[in-house]
Amino acid sequence: MTFLFSAHTQSIFHANWINLRDADTGKILWQGNEDLSVPDIEHEAKVPKQILRCRAVSREINFSTAEPMERFRLEQKVLFKGRCLEEWFFELGFVIPNSTNTWQSLFQAAPESQMMPANVLNGNMVIETKFYDDDLLLTMSRVRLFYV
Amino acid sequence: MLYNCQNKRTKQFLRGLLAILRKLRSNPDKELRLLLLGLDNAGKTTILRYLANEDITQITPTQGFNIKSIHSEGFKLNIWDIGGARKIRPYWRNYFENTDVLIYVIDSADINRLEETGQELSELLIEDKLYKVPLLIYANKQDMVQSITTADIAESLGLHKIKDRDWQIQACVANKGTGRFRVGLQEYHEKVNSLTLNTRYKDVFKNISEI
Repeated sequence: MTFLFSAHTQSIFHANWINLRDADTGKILWQGNEDLSVPDIEHEAKVPKQILRCRAVSREINFSTAEPMERFRLEQKVLFKGRCLEEWFFELGFVIPNSTNTWQSLFQAAPESQMMPANVLNGNMVIETKFYDDDLLLTMSRVRLFYV
Repeated sequence: MLYNCQNKRTKQFLRGLLAILRKLRSNPDKELRLLLLGLDNAGKTTILRYLANEDITQITPTQGFNIKSIHSEGFKLNIWDIGGARKIRPYWRNYFENTDVLIYVIDSADINRLEETGQELSELLIEDKLYKVPLLIYANKQDMVQSITTADIAESLGLHKIKDRDWQIQACVANKGTGRFRVGLQEYHEKVNSLTLNTRYKDVFKNISEI
């Protein structure tokens, strides 16, 4: 994931890990434990193809912060060959100082007729996530998805 | 198979909760916000993970919060589990807003801290932002030898004095399988009859006894 930010914001906010689960079974389909603070890297996620058949997928983020945050929020874009297909906004609010937190959100699958096949999506999808406290950009990550 | 089994357990665990939710909202499309509070080590995160069908074998003390979105039985639930450590409790109030159900978890075997947990609960019940918010108390760890019954907890915490909101207390063993969970609930049901409880929840208790 690409981190373009000052030492200051990096020291107050840290994304520790992210996982994706089949929301119906709770089974982890993918987990990324890489050091997310390594700058200028587009991370890769090898996700099992079966994820496309899930009725709903949950995405869980674990993060730490030294400073309190008044309005923690996240903006997420789904890019297909560089074009934005979907944009999501999540708002969470207050975050306790010196805390480690997990935040899980649910994504419902598109109707099967609208679902692009795995071989088309494979390597062409990038999830871009920006983390904010109010209007202050804390960090950004980019993950390229491969369906295996 | 393992996960199917967990799914079934979850439904049972949820039954009492769902009965409350059904009463709360005629419109199930609305997302309901549930706030899980209680002292550290009460079992809040275990209950949260249980509700989400997730692995509950590796749970560490919550140093902040855990938030999960769960869609169950036609309800969209947004559950906020906030750490119960003493230094985190002053921040609970940041999470009161828009709460639909307050779930307060008690370690039924932690008799030394019964007074402390009662004090924390009574402070929550006078908060403006939680005014009239229905209260579900999970009397957790009912399988422990030293655990006390829901009736004793209700008496010790003076729950019968709560007049300004709907409330109920439910026995549970969040980290165990169905069997022991059933036992806990069965014992509990016997006690329920000796308790004066809000009549609105009579059918909830009927449901619990059927589990």
